[in-house]
Amino acid sequence: MSSASTTAGGELVRVDGLVKSYGSTRAVRGASFGIAPGEIHALCGHNGAGKSTVVKMLSGQEVPDGGTIRVGAEVVDLRSRQVAQRGGIALVDQELSVVPTLTVAENLLLGDIQASWINRRRTSGERFRTLLDRVGLGHVGLDQRLSELGIGERQLIEIARALGQDARLVILDEPTATLSDVESAYVYTAVRSVAAAGCAVLFVSHRLGEVLDLSDRVTVMRDGAVVATTPVADLTIDSLILQMLGEAPHRLGRRTGRDIEGSAEVLSVSGLTVPGRVATFDITLRAGRVYAVAGQLGSGASDVLRAIAGLVPAATAGITVDGVTVPAGRPAAAIKAGIAFVSNDRKAEGLFLDKPVSWNLLATRLPHVTRLGVLDRRRWSAALAALIDLCGLDGRRAGHDVGSLSGGNQQKVFVGRCLGRDDVRVLLLDDPTRGVDVGGRAAIHALLRDAADRGMTVLFSSTDLEELLDLADVVVTMHKGVAVRRHDGDTAGSVLLREMTHGAATVTEERR
Amino acid sequence: MSARRLGRPEVLLPTAAAGLTVTAFALLPAYTDAGLSSFDVYNTFQIFARLGLLALALGLTMIAGEFDLSVVGTYALGGMLTVQAGQEHYAYGLLAAVAAGAAIGLVQGGLIAGLKLPSMPVTLATYIALLGLTSALSGGLTKTYSNAAVTLWVDRTVLTYFSPRSLITLGLFVLAAVVLSLTRWGRELRAIGGDRRASRVAGVRVDRLLVGTFVASGVLSALGGSLLSFSLGSANPDPGVQPLIVAAAAALLGGVSLTGGRGNPLGLLGGIMAVALLTEIVTVAALPAYVTQLFFAGLLGIIVVIDAPDLHSALVRQRTRLRAGTSRPSPAGAQPGSQT
Repeated sequence: MSSASTTAGGELVRVDGLVKSYGSTRAVRGASFGIAPGEIHALCGHNGAGKSTVVKMLSGQEVPDGGTIRVGAEVVDLRSRQVAQRGGIALVDQELSVVPTLTVAENLLLGDIQASWINRRRTSGERFRTLLDRVGLGHVGLDQRLSELGIGERQLIEIARALGQDARLVILDEPTATLSDVESAYVYTAVRSVAAAGCAVLFVSHRLGEVLDLSDRVTVMRDGAVVATTPVADLTIDSLILQMLGEAPHRLGRRTGRDIEGSAEVLSVSGLTVPGRVATFDITLRAGRVYAVAGQLGSGASDVLRAIAGLVPAATAGITVDGVTVPAGRPAAAIKAGIAFVSNDRKAEGLFLDKPVSWNLLATRLPHVTRLGVLDRRRWSAALAALIDLCGLDGRRAGHDVGSLSGGNQQKVFVGRCLGRDDVRVLLLDDPTRGVDVGGRAAIHALLRDAADRGMTVLFSSTDLEELLDLADVVVTMHKGVAVRRHDGDTAGSVLLREMTHGAATVTEERR
Repeated sequence: MSARRLGRPEVLLPTAAAGLTVTAFALLPAYTDAGLSSFDVYNTFQIFARLGLLALALGLTMIAGEFDLSVVGTYALGGMLTVQAGQEHYAYGLLAAVAAGAAIGLVQGGLIAGLKLPSMPVTLATYIALLGLTSALSGGLTKTYSNAAVTLWVDRTVLTYFSPRSLITLGLFVLAAVVLSLTRWGRELRAIGGDRRASRVAGVRVDRLLVGTFVASGVLSALGGSLLSFSLGSANPDPGVQPLIVAAAAALLGGVSLTGGRGNPLGLLGGIMAVALLTEIVTVAALPAYVTQLFFAGLLGIIVVIDAPDLHSALVRQRTRLRAGTSRPSPAGAQPGSQT
């Protein structure tokens, strides 16, 4: 890299005062940091800190409301992915961005603006093989369909694609979240080698051990702003967590008057396994308590919930509700046994967005509001009034389409649908407040707490520390498909975060 | 060809469909009184020429994850424009049809990509509008084409089995196959049908590609209409919905997925040839027409079942159970594979 292609401070890429808002939410408020050529620069922060928005602006997926991005000596305007690519910026997106219906070779070429208009198999074949070897995919054929590969292998293909674009900056947004240790090790080696060749690397990760091992400097973001950029030699896991959380006290409190073991056992799960996602998972839930499975993306927390709800055909588990066995992998059987599930994707797996609030709320209890199969208006109105009251919704909006409500109110309808029913024994919620603002969040937490007080058993998964501390009586932390530890109250938030991001390793076992 | 490759639906389905119908065709003399002549093969290719471009146009949009219902409207308009503008010289008619097809594709593609509209309602509206326009142009009447030399030329016998019309159609299939399998455009077309978000993030210009696909679809269907008008020496303002149904059936038989991202023009060729052969079999054997309809219905039923995602997850579940049953020692008396 010649010095002419760097900024005054010797940095290859520099962002200054980046600002981005979505509606009334300010996702990023003034982010500034720089990455030197050959540097592996980590970007850390708790959920909602603004990391992903910064990545989107750097990769040409979002246009900043303010601030500048410099690549080399010049200020660039990254209007689209193509412009960003032309500026030498390659991206491994947080969500898997390869096409399952294409072959490995076709995916490696996909979107590459330098690719020729005619496929040249002979000349590119050798380059592809080298790329695949670099990420440990020597055994994969170039003509294999991606749909024939596992999730980890697909992720590695996407990484190989980004590394093969001869970029000046490679952005990796949580590249190892879905990978095994062996697969991750290949990614580390490949990332180190592109950095050694003079390329700048921006590495976003929730796995703090990996951050400390791999990177040269770490920029921590909190609430949309940069807290600090620190050389990795001056950091430990604990100081990093402190930067991420700030000084505010974070503790899982033991709620007064709650004896965790005091009530009747409702749901018991033993030996739950999801091939490639969850090793084995056991948990026993008691009536009137709120339990949480805490883990980052790819930890298996979400898979545990989906498996209990019968939504994972490949899962095996011994599940009983009130002592009665529930066959795994059959959603209808799970519902019949009293297990209700609230997905983290309310648009695709929950609500009928173009139907009124009233229809959505009563959709799961039609037998209770009908007589001989015909809707009974009086029962319908009574049930609706009770539910609207229970959920704290505005009764005047019962006739509005759910799609017109705010995210928070949509989620209230989704959760409310499962409440006040005698047939629901266990309520499972996968990330119950995803995309919900602070006010809506508090209301949903109150709703769940209230349901537990009435005797329902609640189990939710979350990546959000605040939520875990606010809501849960018992937290089970998960890391890489394995349960790390169970916390029955009185645990510091930093301990939970450490286990979620770093696994069970104790301080003495670590390098730092 | 490896077994794995043969097992892919876009290879398996058209191979099976074309294989079955070719066998049935070849064995015709064995189960009917009718004998086979080279004219029957020629005829099959004529049926192929009538519907091929329509199936190709629809198939391309299906591979891109869309559905172009307007192809039959463009087909009718293309035929009508050819007759009305091509009386003096056939090239004027051909040019008018192709230009109209491209313009229709441009408008539809622009609306669908630019405003993120679903393609079904947009192309349905276009289909109805184009039928109306064609009727208005012709006064609702069938128009005759007076240039008999062109009519004779497009259907004259070439190399025993073909006509210039069927050869042009075949050539366009080969061209589409080359573009789809050997160029960046083809790769990206299959990509946006397979996963649009991933393609966008990877840097594919999704919107431009969609517009291009609809333009290609418009041009191909208009051209199909032109060739038919030349052949018949007339243009009909309303071809009905039968061509659309047959084209969709051919695309599905050809291994094109309804969800997009899967399929290729050679598979489509297999699908439409199966349709053409079957139609010819019914004609030669003098079978009642409903046999074709029942046969297609059955065939499509089987394809839809093979493609069903629920069937797939049920198979995975069954396999998991069987594996769990064999690997875990079952307690005395318990059925292997039963859940504990």
